[in-house]
Amino acid sequence: MKALRSLVGGMKALFDKKRRNSDIDEELQSYMDAAVEEKMRRGMDRERALRVVRADVGSVEVVKHRVWSAGWEAAAESLWSDLRYTVRRLSRSPGLVLTVIVSIGLGIAANATIFSIVSRVALKPAPVGDPSRLITLYETHDGDQCCNEFSAPIYHDVRDQAKSFSGVSAYYELVPASISGGSEPERVWGQTVTANYFDVADLRMTLGRGFSRDEERAPVIVLGHGLWQRRFGGDPAIVGKTISLSGHVYSVVGVAPAGYRGLDQLLDPQFWVPLGELAELVPNPPDANVRSWHWLRVVARLRPGVTRAEAIAELNVFAQHFRETHADTDTGLGFRLEQAGSLPPRDKPAILLFLAALSVVVLLVLCIACANVANLLLALAASRQKEMGVRLALGATRSQLLRQMLMESLLLALGGGLLGVLLSVWGTSALSAFRLPAPIPLDLSVSVDWRVVLYSFLLSLVAGVVFGFVPAWQASRPVLSSALKGEDALARPGRRFSLRSILVVVQISLSLVLLCATGLFLRSLQGASKIDIGFRSRGVLMMAVDPQAHGYTPTRTLQLLAALRQRIATLPGVSSVASADLVPLSMGGRSDGFVAEGRTAPSGDPPGTELYMVSPGYFETMGIPRVSGRDLAEENPVAPKVAVVNEEFAQRLFQHDSPIGQRVTGGGVTYQIVGVVGNIKSRTLGEEDRPVLYRSINQNLSGDPSFNGYSLMVRYTGDPSALSAAIRHEINSLDPALAVFNTQTIEEHLRDALFLPRLAGTLFGVFGFIGILLATVGLYGVMSYTVSRRTHEIGIRIALGAQTGAVQKLIVTQGMRLTVIAIALGLPLALAASKLSASILYGVRPHDLVTFTTIPVIFLVVALLACWIPSRRASRVDPMKTLRCVG
Amino acid sequence: MADKSSDLVQGTLEMLVLKTLAAGPMHGYGITLRIEQMSQGVFQVNPGSLFPALSRMERAGSIKAEWRATENNRRAKYYLLTDQGQAALKSETETWGRQIVAINRILEA
Repeated sequence: MKALRSLVGGMKALFDKKRRNSDIDEELQSYMDAAVEEKMRRGMDRERALRVVRADVGSVEVVKHRVWSAGWEAAAESLWSDLRYTVRRLSRSPGLVLTVIVSIGLGIAANATIFSIVSRVALKPAPVGDPSRLITLYETHDGDQCCNEFSAPIYHDVRDQAKSFSGVSAYYELVPASISGGSEPERVWGQTVTANYFDVADLRMTLGRGFSRDEERAPVIVLGHGLWQRRFGGDPAIVGKTISLSGHVYSVVGVAPAGYRGLDQLLDPQFWVPLGELAELVPNPPDANVRSWHWLRVVARLRPGVTRAEAIAELNVFAQHFRETHADTDTGLGFRLEQAGSLPPRDKPAILLFLAALSVVVLLVLCIACANVANLLLALAASRQKEMGVRLALGATRSQLLRQMLMESLLLALGGGLLGVLLSVWGTSALSAFRLPAPIPLDLSVSVDWRVVLYSFLLSLVAGVVFGFVPAWQASRPVLSSALKGEDALARPGRRFSLRSILVVVQISLSLVLLCATGLFLRSLQGASKIDIGFRSRGVLMMAVDPQAHGYTPTRTLQLLAALRQRIATLPGVSSVASADLVPLSMGGRSDGFVAEGRTAPSGDPPGTELYMVSPGYFETMGIPRVSGRDLAEENPVAPKVAVVNEEFAQRLFQHDSPIGQRVTGGGVTYQIVGVVGNIKSRTLGEEDRPVLYRSINQNLSGDPSFNGYSLMVRYTGDPSALSAAIRHEINSLDPALAVFNTQTIEEHLRDALFLPRLAGTLFGVFGFIGILLATVGLYGVMSYTVSRRTHEIGIRIALGAQTGAVQKLIVTQGMRLTVIAIALGLPLALAASKLSASILYGVRPHDLVTFTTIPVIFLVVALLACWIPSRRASRVDPMKTLRCVG
Repeated sequence: MADKSSDLVQGTLEMLVLKTLAAGPMHGYGITLRIEQMSQGVFQVNPGSLFPALSRMERAGSIKAEWRATENNRRAKYYLLTDQGQAALKSETETWGRQIVAINRILEA
C-alpha cells in the first residue's frame, strides 16, 4: 500500500515536473514572506529581515533539489539523464559502437544457438498437462543403472497394482505405415498406445478427443498436428472422417496439439492408434503374453500428494515380489523413474557431455569478444581521460563516473545481445537443416524460445559488466595532474605489461585454441571423405517400399520385389539392380553374436555381427568385391540357409582357415557360408571394420521381416531424377497404393552420413573464424593505440635520425612479441583440447602435425599484418609537427 | 546561523513535525516557529531539512497538504495530520520514551 502510494506519487511528480517545481517555489516564497513578516513584527526593519531570512533559507535551488531527492523518482531521473547522456556520447563514435555490438553480437549468437539446443533437449518440459507429475518408468536388470522397456505382463501387473499413480499407460515406440487416399501414398511413422494414453498425458487436443476406455482394439486414429496440416490441409471437419492406413480403414477421433511429438526426445511420430491395432500394422508384432519380451514404453502420472520417493518405494516392493513369483523371467528385476520427456537415460550422459563441451567452446568465443571490447573501451577511456580529469576536478565522485561508464558498457552489451538473438534465430534454423542418416523419423529442430532469450539477456548483462568494469575502473582514476595537463593519465609508472597487452595475449591464445580445433575438424572432414567405405560411392539410386505394411504376405513381398528388380533392370541407364533390407551407413540395423560350429569359440562375447538381407546382384550393384566362394543366388526359401560374410567376420571366427562351407550360428539361426566379400563401413564412417553377414532375402524375409521396408538399389548412369520417376512409375503400375520413401542417391546418403564431422566442422569453422577475426582486430587496436601514444617519442627518434625501417621494426617487434607469447601459451592448451575431441575425429590423429604447424603460421602472418599497418603510420610521423604540438 | 536541526537524531524531526501538527493544521514556517518556541530556541529547523521531510511524510501518507489562505490573507500550503500520522506519532512517542529511559539508565549507571 505504502509502496504503491510512493510509486503513484513519484510518477505524478515525474510527469508533472513543472507544476511540482512551481509548487515548491510558491511554498518557499510563502515561507519566506511569513518569516519576514514575523521578523518585522519583532522589530527588524524590512531590509534586514529580508537579508536574514535569505541567509537562513540558503539557495532556493538547493532546497528544491533536496525536496526532489526525498523520493525515489530523483534516482530514476538521474538514471534517465545518465542514459540520455550515454546514448549521446556513444552516438559520437558510431564506428566503435558498431565494432562492439558486432563483437558481442557474434559471441552472444554462438552462445544462444548452442543454448537453444540445451533448452530443447534438457530444459523444456514435455508438452503435456502438468509435466512435473508425469513419469517414465523403466525396468532395470541386476542393479544396472539403465534401462529396459517393459514387457506387457509386467506393465499389466504394475498398472493394476500400483497405488502411487492415477494412471499408467504404455506405448510402442515407432510403427511405420503408409497413408493412401487423396494424393500419392506416403510413408508415415506413428505410435501404438494404450487407450488411457491421452488421459494420462492430459493433452489439450486441437480437435476431437483422445481414445476412450473401450477403444483398446478399435480402428480409431489420432493425427499429429503436422500430418493433419500437411496431408489434410488442416481440415477442421476431419474428426469422424475415415482414412486408409496401410490398407486398413481408421476413423479419425482427434488431432494432437501443435508441437506434440510424443514423449520421446528426438523421435517424430505423426499418428497414434490403439495398441491393439499393432498386429494390423506390423508383421510379427511382439507377443503381449511373453513376460521376457521387453518392448513397451511406460508413462505414469503420479497421484496428487504422492512423492516420487514414495512411488519408487512402492515399485521396489513390486520388483521384489515379482522376483519371487516369476523367478524364471524376473530375476534381477528393478524399476527406475525418470521425468517424462527427458532425454533417454542411456544416452543422457553422452549428450550432456557433448553439449557441455560445445557450451565451453562458445563461452570461449564470448570471452574473446569481451577481451576485444575491453581493449577497445580502454582505448576509448584513454582518449577521454582529460574529460574525466576535468569532471573529477569539478567535484564529480568516482562512483558517479563509474556508474556512467558501466551504463555505457551495459548498453553496448544489450545492443550486442539483441543482435546475437537475431543472429541465433538464423543460426538455429541452419542447425535444424542437418539430417541424421537414420531410417526412422527424427525431429532435430531447435528454435529460439523464451529461455534462450532470457539466457542471452543475462549473459549480455554479465558480459557488459565483465568487459566494462576494468576500463571503467581505470578511467575513473586517472592521475589527475597528468590528465589536466593533457598527458597520459592512465599510464602508471613502473608497469611493464599494460592490461591491454595482457588482454591481447589472452585473446590470441584462446582463438588459437579454437582455430586449432577448427583445423582438426576440417582435416577430419577431409579425412572422412577419403575413408574407404568399401562400396560404391556414386551412381547408385536407392528407393524403399514396405509391402508388408500394406498387408503383403512374405511370399507376395518376395514376388513383388523380384518383379520390380526384373522391370527396373530393363530401364534405360540401369546396369544392375538389387534389393536389401537396409542401406549401409544408416547408423545400424540388425546385429547378433555369432559362433562357428565345431570350433572352440574365442574367449569373451561372440563378436557382434551386422546382418544384411540381400537379393542376388547386391554385391555387383554395390561394388563390394568378392574375395572367395560364390555370390548369393535366387536361393530356395526352404533349403538350408546360406550366407556370405565379409573378411573381418572370416578373420574373427576362422582366423586363417577358409570359412567356405563352414556353419555359423547367431540369433538362433544357422547359416552355411558360401562366400567371402570385402569389408564395408556398416554403421558409421568412423568405425573400425565390423563383422558382417549377408543372408538371402528369399530365405529370411518370412522369419525375420524388416520394419524399415526394403530398399531397391539401382546402379545407373545418367540422370537420377528421371530414373527415379521411371522407377516410381514401375512401382505404381504394380501397386498404386504402395508408398515409396527414402528416395536418395548414394551421394546424398553419404553426405548425410558425414553428419557429425560436417556439423563439428561447420560449428568450429564459424567459431574459429569469429575468434581469429576478433583477435586480429584486438591486436590491431592495441598497436595503433601504441603508435598514437608514442607519437611524441617516435617524433624525437626520427628527428635524431632514426630510419623508417627502424621505426617500423620497433612497432612490429612489440606486436610480434605479444603474438609469440600468446602462441607459446595457446599451443599446449590447444593440444590438450584436441585430446578431448579425439573420439569424434575421422582419419586424423588428435596431434595432427599439419594442423598444429599451419595454424600458428596463419596467426603469425595475420598478426604481422595487424602490426604492419600501424607501423607504417608510425614511420610517417612528421617530427616537426609532433615536436611542435606536444612540446 | 547554525542549522541546529542537524543535531537531531535521524527521524526525530519527523516525530517533532507530527507532534506539532497534532495541535492543528499548520504551514511550513508555522511548523519551524512552533518547534523553535516549544524547544525554547534549542532546535531551529532549516527549510532545507523541513521541506524534504514534509515531502517524505506526505509521500508516506502520515500527513497531507492543501493550499489555504493564512490569517493575513496570503496563500500558504497547510499540512494536516492523517489518521495514519496520528498512529505513527503515538507509536514513535512510545518508542522514544522507552529509548530515553534506557539511555538515561545507561548514563546514570
